[in-house]
This record gives sequence, structure tokens and C-alpha cells, in this order.
Amino acid sequence: MKSIKDIERTMDFHGEALDNIFETYRLMRENCPVGRSEKYGGFWFLSKSEDIFKVEQDADTYSVKPTMLVPPVADFPMIPIDTDLPELMDYRRILLPLFTPQALAKMEKPVRDIAQDLAREFADSGTTDATAGFARALPTIFFSRLAGFPEKDWPKFDAWVDDILYERTLDPERAKKAQDAVMAYFDDLIEKYRGRTIDEADTGTIMDYLLEAKIKGEPLSRQELLSYCYLMFLGGLDTTAWAIRASLWHLAQDLDAQRKLRENPDLIPMAAEEILRTLSPVQAMGRTCKKDTVIRGQEIKAGDRVVLLFGAGNRDPDIYDEPEKIKIDREDNRHLAFGAGHHRCLGSNLGRRELVIGLEEFLKVVPEFTLGDPSEKWYGVGRLTLNFKK
Amino acid sequence: MKVLLDSHRCQGHARCAAFAPETFVFDDDGFSRVREGMEDVKPENAPGVRKACANCPELAISIIED
Ligand code: HEM
Ligand code: SF4
Repeated sequence: MKSIKDIERTMDFHGEALDNIFETYRLMRENCPVGRSEKYGGFWFLSKSEDIFKVEQDADTYSVKPTMLVPPVADFPMIPIDTDLPELMDYRRILLPLFTPQALAKMEKPVRDIAQDLAREFADSGTTDATAGFARALPTIFFSRLAGFPEKDWPKFDAWVDDILYERTLDPERAKKAQDAVMAYFDDLIEKYRGRTIDEADTGTIMDYLLEAKIKGEPLSRQELLSYCYLMFLGGLDTTAWAIRASLWHLAQDLDAQRKLRENPDLIPMAAEEILRTLSPVQAMGRTCKKDTVIRGQEIKAGDRVVLLFGAGNRDPDIYDEPEKIKIDREDNRHLAFGAGHHRCLGSNLGRRELVIGLEEFLKVVPEFTLGDPSEKWYGVGRLTLNFKK
Repeated sequence: MKVLLDSHRCQGHARCAAFAPETFVFDDDGFSRVREGMEDVKPENAPGVRKACANCPELAISIIED
């Protein structure tokens, strides 16, 4: 048995650490809600919802520099995620109009059409991997179109995302190679957009918005464009795929919930929030303390890294009753899956709609399914084998 | 019952739109405010407004009971 101190010291939220993470979170919330890990150069970590919300909303004390990601996923600052106020808002404003409730209403039908086709194909084909066939495919197709990433390039995306997000803790060299490949890809794509030699993409894509944007009268520099594209690529694809996969993973084991959602699809938006809360695609993000401060009696020094454990805050018993239980009809669900404050996930409303519509269409078409391989993990975007009667 | 929205806190999560679309409107950047004339919450809208309040991640919405 590891002691509490050892668990604290080796606290991590990547790879195999996720196998038992909810138990780890519970121990940390109860014993050291402001803990200290030696991983990734050393960081404080917060596991109470209230503390995390406070830090998210306190731009005077916390910065996202040098990067929000722990460990980093790029060797340059990413836009907008690694930018502080006030520049942050200049960058966010470029894309905010794309994700308002009004703008999202227009995306309903295209998302639904894609989800319907994928679900039918999955149900008919006899393949069983719901990740490749559905969870990853839906955001790859929908988000890539919205972003203006040409269809012929999609087959390359999964491996790049895997190498950058999932291999970085195991094989940093491979992650770096993938980073370089993605940057080279966008360098080339920006050139094509500039010369308008692109034909697959319509106007009004994220690429168009970024290329046309002006901040204080100036267009974005090459490096700014590349950096923004890189972050959108990482933020728009993997998280949504995780959320859809995790939902199916859960429903494959909770047949009662699966039946309820089939009978009453109006419950799906609520169920989606509950999955986002309990199986959050982004388990944690980092900040850097700008001036000496105190959290729950613990002194934090200027320059210290502070990690916000969204996944732990989302199961905080001070906020939720039966926090560890996945209740698809939980009504009050003020969670941290998309963060909060001025860095609130820019794509949260899109990610939500993709998840909800994806589940609606999947449940309409695919008959009752169960877990085909119980050794598959709850997290990530690896294979998800589902059994169902064809 | 009255509903108030603190626009300094609002970060555009649009949870309020999901629960009480009749009560909240959004600007072109997706930030919310209470629709004109909807500050006094009609009884039929009260459950939705309460849910919006409970689900707003930024605690930007407050309710004043009569
Ligand atoms: C279910 C899907 C998603 C989840 C769970 C998720 C989660 C998150 C989280 C936790 C953050 C950090 C927020 C913070 O530190 O307060 C974030 C930031 C971000 N996300 Fe998402 N995300 C999702 C989908 C998307 C999509 C579809 C897009 C693309 C449109 C996107 C784009 C971004 C961007 C640009 C940021 C940086 C915002 C900033 O720093 O100002 N995300 N996301
Ligand atoms: S839920 Fe809260 S933060 Fe989100 S748009 Fe409504 S008021 Fe603003």
C-alpha cells in the first residue's frame, strides 16, 4: 500500500495514473486538497471545486504562462490558451461569434446528418470499434469542415493527435515529431488559403476567420496564425471524441440508463452533462502563480505552478450529492469540464451539441449494446468494442 | 421573483440558454443578458430560471425571491 504522502508526491493525471484516478482524487480531496506533486517539474494541485473556480476567475493572481498544459504540448505559446488578459480577449473575439447559441443553431442539421450516417454505417457494417466508427469520426468530419481542414487530410489527424496528446508523457521525441508535422501542415494550408488554391473548403471556416482577423488594425502574424491553428486542431478533435466515447462506454454498462435514454431522448442533454462531469475529457489544466498567495492555508509562491484538477473538483462531495455516481438525470450540474473564467473553453457549446446529437443519433440506430472488452479503459480515445445484435 | 445577471462574471457558457431561452439573450460574442422586460420572472418561467442559476458555472445569475 502506498502512503497518502507517496500518492501526493507522485500525483499524475496522464496515462495509467487515470486507471484509478477517482480513488486518488478522493484521497487527495480528503487528506491534502492543496497537494504537492514532484512530477513534471513540481506543481501544486487543487482538488476542491471551490478552489478551482476561484483560481479560474482570478486573473490578477494567476497566469497561464508559459503554458496551461502540464506537461507542455508545444514548444511555443499557444493562442489563445497560453495568453493572458487583455490580449486573450482580442484573440478569443475572433472566433467567439462562431460559437454563440445563434451560430450553433445553424450547425444542428449538418452535425445530425453526419451523426446519422455514421451511426447507420456502424450498425450495418458489423465492425465493433465505436471509437473509430463513431466517437472520433463525428468530430473529425464536422469540426474539420467547420475549421476548413480539407477532407483528403483527415486520415492523418488521428495519429498526430495521439502522438501529441497521449504519447508525450511516454515518448516526448515522438510527440515533438508530430508537433513539427502539424506545424508544417498548417504552414502549407495557410499558404493555400492565402492563394485560394483550396477548393474543398467553403468560406466562413475557422481558417477564414483567422486569416481575415485584425487586431488593432493588424492581421495576425504567421506565427500567431500557426499557433492558433495548432491549438484549434488539438482542442477541437480529441476532447469531443473522448466525451462521446466515454458516454458510450458508460451506457454499455448501465443498461438501465441506456433504455431510459432510448425511451426518453429529452434526457440526453442532461445525461451528457453528467458524463462531462464524471468522465471529463480534460482532467486538469495548469496555471502559474504571479504573486505570493495562500490557498486553504497553504502558501503558494510567485512562480509556482498550480494544477487545477477539474476531474477531482467535479466529484467534490461539497458540491454534489453522491458525487461518484453517474446519474443521468442530475438536475443541478455546475461542473468544471470546460473550465471557467476568462479561459472558458471556446468550443464548449459546440462540443456539447456534438455530444448530445451524437448520442441521440447513435441510440436511435444502434440496438442495445454492451461492453465487448472490459479491459478497455474509461479514458482516452482508444478502441471501444461494443457488442450488439446486428 | 426577479432575475439578475452580472455581465462582469458571464463568460458565455450559454447554460442559461439551455434552461430558460425565453429569459436570456445573447450578443454577437455569445455573452448573455436578461431580455428586456424579463427581469420580473413569470411563474411559468421560474423553474427554468432557477435551473439556469444553479447551472451557471460562473455564478453570474442571481435570483431575488419576492
Ligand atoms: C467535450 C468537448 C470539450 C471539452 C471537455 C473541452 C475542455 C476544455 C477545457 C477544460 C479548457 C480549459 C479551460 C480553462 O482552463 O478554464 C478548454 C479550452 C479551450 N477549448 Fe475546449 N473542450 C472541448 C471542446 C472544444 C472544441 C470543440 C473546441 C473548438 C472549437 C475547443 C476549443 C478550445 C479552445 C480554443 C480553448 C482555449 C480557450 C482559452 O484559453 O481562452 N474545445 N477546453
Ligand atoms: S450560464 Fe452564466 S456564464 Fe453562461 S452565458 Fe449564462 S450567465 Fe453567462
